[in-house]
Amino acid sequence: MTTILSAQALSVARSGQQVLRDVSFDIEQGEVHALLGGNGAGKSTTLLTFLGFLSPASGSAQVQGREACDNIAAARQAIAYLPESASLYGHLNAYENLRYFLSLAKAEAHQPALDTALERVALQADAREMRMQTYSKGMRQKVAIALAILREAPILLLDEPTSGLDPAAIDEFNRLVRDLAENGRTILLVTHDVYGACHVADRIHLLHKGELVGTFDRPAGMNRIDTEAVHAAFATHSSA
Amino acid sequence: MTGTMRELQFLAKDRAVLLWLGIALLVTGLSVLLGLGEVASERAIISELIDIDRAEREAQRELHRDWGSTAYYTFHLTYDAPSDFAFAALGMRDTSPWKHSIRALALEGQIYETDADNPDFALIGRFDFAFVAAMLAPLLLILLLHDVRSRERAAGRYELLSAVAASPGSPWLVRAALRAVALALCLIVPLVAGGMLADAGASELVLASLIVALHIGFWWGVCALVDRFCWSSPVNLTALIGAWLALAVIAPAVMRSAVESATRLPDGGELMLVQREAVNDAWDLPKSATMEAFVERHPQWAAYTEVSQPFEWKWYYAFQQVGDQTVEPLSHAYREGRIRRDELAAKLAWFSPPTLVTRILQDIAGTSMKDSLDYEQRVRDFHAVLRDYYYPRLFRDEAFTDESLGERPEWSTLPSPGR
Repeated sequence: MTTILSAQALSVARSGQQVLRDVSFDIEQGEVHALLGGNGAGKSTTLLTFLGFLSPASGSAQVQGREACDNIAAARQAIAYLPESASLYGHLNAYENLRYFLSLAKAEAHQPALDTALERVALQADAREMRMQTYSKGMRQKVAIALAILREAPILLLDEPTSGLDPAAIDEFNRLVRDLAENGRTILLVTHDVYGACHVADRIHLLHKGELVGTFDRPAGMNRIDTEAVHAAFATHSSA
Repeated sequence: MTGTMRELQFLAKDRAVLLWLGIALLVTGLSVLLGLGEVASERAIISELIDIDRAEREAQRELHRDWGSTAYYTFHLTYDAPSDFAFAALGMRDTSPWKHSIRALALEGQIYETDADNPDFALIGRFDFAFVAAMLAPLLLILLLHDVRSRERAAGRYELLSAVAASPGSPWLVRAALRAVALALCLIVPLVAGGMLADAGASELVLASLIVALHIGFWWGVCALVDRFCWSSPVNLTALIGAWLALAVIAPAVMRSAVESATRLPDGGELMLVQREAVNDAWDLPKSATMEAFVERHPQWAAYTEVSQPFEWKWYYAFQQVGDQTVEPLSHAYREGRIRRDELAAKLAWFSPPTLVTRILQDIAGTSMKDSLDYEQRVRDFHAVLRDYYYPRLFRDEAFTDESLGERPEWSTLPSPGR
């Protein structure tokens, strides 16, 4: 197996405040990992560090074996990033948004591929040519997920990807994530959703106030991580 | 798809950007049309005055058959015709005279006369292309560029765009460049169209377009500098409007005040009063006193200074001349002071790009203070030629003939400044 993302004793400070402390984990190719934790746990900070927006105060954050902050262009080329509450351009429709961002990434944007991606995220066909300012939050999120798929990057960093999606769409999204992983994509997602994380991830890293306080693996032969164990750990740290 | 094409398509769908560009095109088009209208109006006035001037002189020829009366009653039209590029920068033509009716009397009482329809409007200035390019274009650019990056931060797209962009810096540079170029085109296209209608020279249009582009480039630099601080859109806008106020409004006001303090001018009213008194007092002075003062400057007429009659035209024109001589130091100081002020203002204009742009466009259009002073000098030269024509006829009491009258100088036959 090849290590695609690696955090080793990673500490990050923002505005003079330590927001990640000594966090370590490795993600192999084709794995889905979830960073779970409450507000201010350092989940999004971890993603931004892999993208090179933040530099480690100590330790390392490597993408495909190279330090992200020293190889920002390469890191971003390898990563498809879905920010929390991704706000695409409201004055453009779904196709125009996808074409714009794919062109920015110097990626191909053929119409059949766009339709396939939008079908995979279950965006209604009649909505695709409407301006996105008329979309619900869930519909906007679907287009952003479609963009991440279309990038065809080997790594996906997803920040609260199911935020705003209805339960059926969340199930569909979880299946999509598993499908992408089975096709060799490496996925790190950030979420508050314990149930969803347990169903989609191979491993969950529980973060609390910038520290890694627990790791939960999918048992061999099981289709999900033990939800109750994760819930219990999450609740313990949330109330601490 | 190239980055330029991508951002061009993006720009074409951004209603706010299109609105500002539309406004830029509209105000520029309006300023060019108003400028063309003003130039056409000035040319029509000049053309009409030329006809009136000619008809008036023909009428005077029949009415007066002596040199003294002819010189007294005949007005001579002088004018500074607008250049083909004057529509773009009306400049000093608003406040300084560009046409006169000159007689062979004392010049100082005539040369500062000007039409002023409404002095308040003259103070405000014209809405011409130079005003749009110098004052409004920076504001429009600020509105177009102040939130190129900060809007994306506020919308939560900044990280996504930066993470997706295949090359560092993209798409900010292309996006800002397209907006700046689009604004420049909204200014330059109406200017060139107006220039073609007015038959302006290609070199003038190219130079003016270059100045507009450089000015927009300067303000783009200011926007980029403010953008580096990563402030929010309202803070960026406030900082940029502050910079515009400082460079386009406050700096010129301070500079004007500094120039006026550094270079004092004689009072214009005093100049007129002294000249008027010198002329009026001459009626009460011994005629010999006037003629002596006159001969000091014109010794060639020393043999013709005897005045035996209570009124003689040569004495009358001599005291007109002496009136001008009396205020010559004041007049010279007034003119030199205006030249020094203009030179100092030209140096200080480097501290205010909008002022510099206005001055350069006025230079290209031939409507600057220097051009106004050049015209004033040409009027003085014409008046001197007129005196040189009349003095031999008056002092030698030559016979009045149509042939001799035909030799009288005319403004239109004098060498033009080459525009």
